[in-house]
Amino acid sequence: MKNVIAFIEHKHGTIRRSSLEAATHARTLADQLGGKAHAVVAGPGAAQAAETLKKYPLDQIHVSDEDRFIDGAVDAVEAVAKAAGPSLVLVGNTMIGRDVGSRFAARVDCGINADVVDFKTDGGEVSCVMPKLGGLVITTCKLTGSDFGVAAIRPNVFAAKETSGAAQIVQIPSSGKASTVTVEDEIEEAAAELGVEEASVVVSGGRGMGGPEPFTTILKDLAEAFGGAVGASRAAVDAGWVSHGHQVGQTGKTISPQLYIAVGISGAIQHKVGMRTSETIIAINKDANAPIAEFADLLVAGDAFAIVPELTKLVRDAKAVHA
Amino acid sequence: MTPVSGKEIVRKALAMGADDAVMLSDDAVAGSDLWGTAVALAATIKAQSPDLVITGTQSTDAISGDLPGMIAEKLGFPGLTYARKLEVEGGRVRVQRETETGYMTISAALPAVVSVTKSANEPRYPSLKGIMGAKKKEIKQLAAADLGLTVAVGTGGAKAQLTDLATPPARSKGQVVQAPDAAEGAKAIVQFLKERKFL
Repeated sequence: MKNVIAFIEHKHGTIRRSSLEAATHARTLADQLGGKAHAVVAGPGAAQAAETLKKYPLDQIHVSDEDRFIDGAVDAVEAVAKAAGPSLVLVGNTMIGRDVGSRFAARVDCGINADVVDFKTDGGEVSCVMPKLGGLVITTCKLTGSDFGVAAIRPNVFAAKETSGAAQIVQIPSSGKASTVTVEDEIEEAAAELGVEEASVVVSGGRGMGGPEPFTTILKDLAEAFGGAVGASRAAVDAGWVSHGHQVGQTGKTISPQLYIAVGISGAIQHKVGMRTSETIIAINKDANAPIAEFADLLVAGDAFAIVPELTKLVRDAKAVHA
Repeated sequence: MTPVSGKEIVRKALAMGADDAVMLSDDAVAGSDLWGTAVALAATIKAQSPDLVITGTQSTDAISGDLPGMIAEKLGFPGLTYARKLEVEGGRVRVQRETETGYMTISAALPAVVSVTKSANEPRYPSLKGIMGAKKKEIKQLAAADLGLTVAVGTGGAKAQLTDLATPPARSKGQVVQAPDAAEGAKAIVQFLKERKFL
């Protein structure tokens, strides 16, 4: 493989952070492989997203105006890949990123690696490093047997960096195809907020929260003091206290924030596999012997309902001093 | 697609209400990567001429979440992923697809592939009648040769080839601080955050 193509996920022109990480890392990998770094952006708002992408170190930004759910993006990536020749396609390991990456891989018959946290290149060969079994093992898989390959990168692992890019914007001609999937409506149940996958600080609540309120009050306040996101254990999601999009762990999301604060979460293995690769873990729990004590960097044993608001105040004060 | 040892799992699916079961067991598909698995499964599914294919979202070991989309693409069907609710009406399937901030309603003409999330339903417990009935049902076993595949799958045909398997360093136990009151607890955390340069 020689070239690298970053698929850019965006909402009405606002690009997801994981896609900016893909755009930045596309350059690094393209330099190692001796090829070009491309970005592909499709759908309503694509032109606006392309303007943002100009600040990233890309060679070409390909814009498709097709508004076909998933398919429009897959077609765009396919067109760019086939024109570029042997290429590695980078997608964020997000719902949309996986849909686009997986369909492209099946369409062109190439390998796909999911939840990639590191790359190794050797000549034109690309290997991906991926934690599996909830981080119990680290696997390395080489993409082979095709001119193409797909890597779905774990959000928050690779850096997103603006530079003085000089990318050329290229319009992808419209196919005129009709969409096979009809989008009937889109409902926002929560305010558009930073997702747990992309936040550098995540404050999660579990069974110990006892109800839905803490997720929109004390946990949210603490998360906001850090500019972070609210997460949850499966127990809290199953109880209906918070939506599934917040769930960290098995059957939820696997995340690697810089700081993970677990509040009222015992630390069962199903939760651990989703957050064990966090850089720093702090637990607040009434039980000092909860399983989470075995892998948290700090466990504070006490009343979370009293400690969290107090902590929020101190964090706000500390941030205000630096601001 | 499973080694022969997976027969009991297939039997359980029958006991839970499936009418028929087809099992692909063959050394030729063992060790398949995502691409090989998608090729083999799509060929197996295609032979059943389904109107609707329902999958889970991801396995709990590899957790890729890529197979539903790949199977849809290989079958040439629309793929509706991350469905928390689905209904079939008038030759179309309509689902509520989960998003990061809520859901979107999307629909497509059958045949289609739908992957469901955990919130789609509660799996029913096999009834005694179901369990007894499942014992009598035949599980159709297919080999790779029955699928008419023109490409090599399995370990040899993998396009993502495992080259290394390592154990990460274990996380060690950190400090445990008893907080007699909120102020003490919060102070301990802030001090720790300052040491780690978060504040």
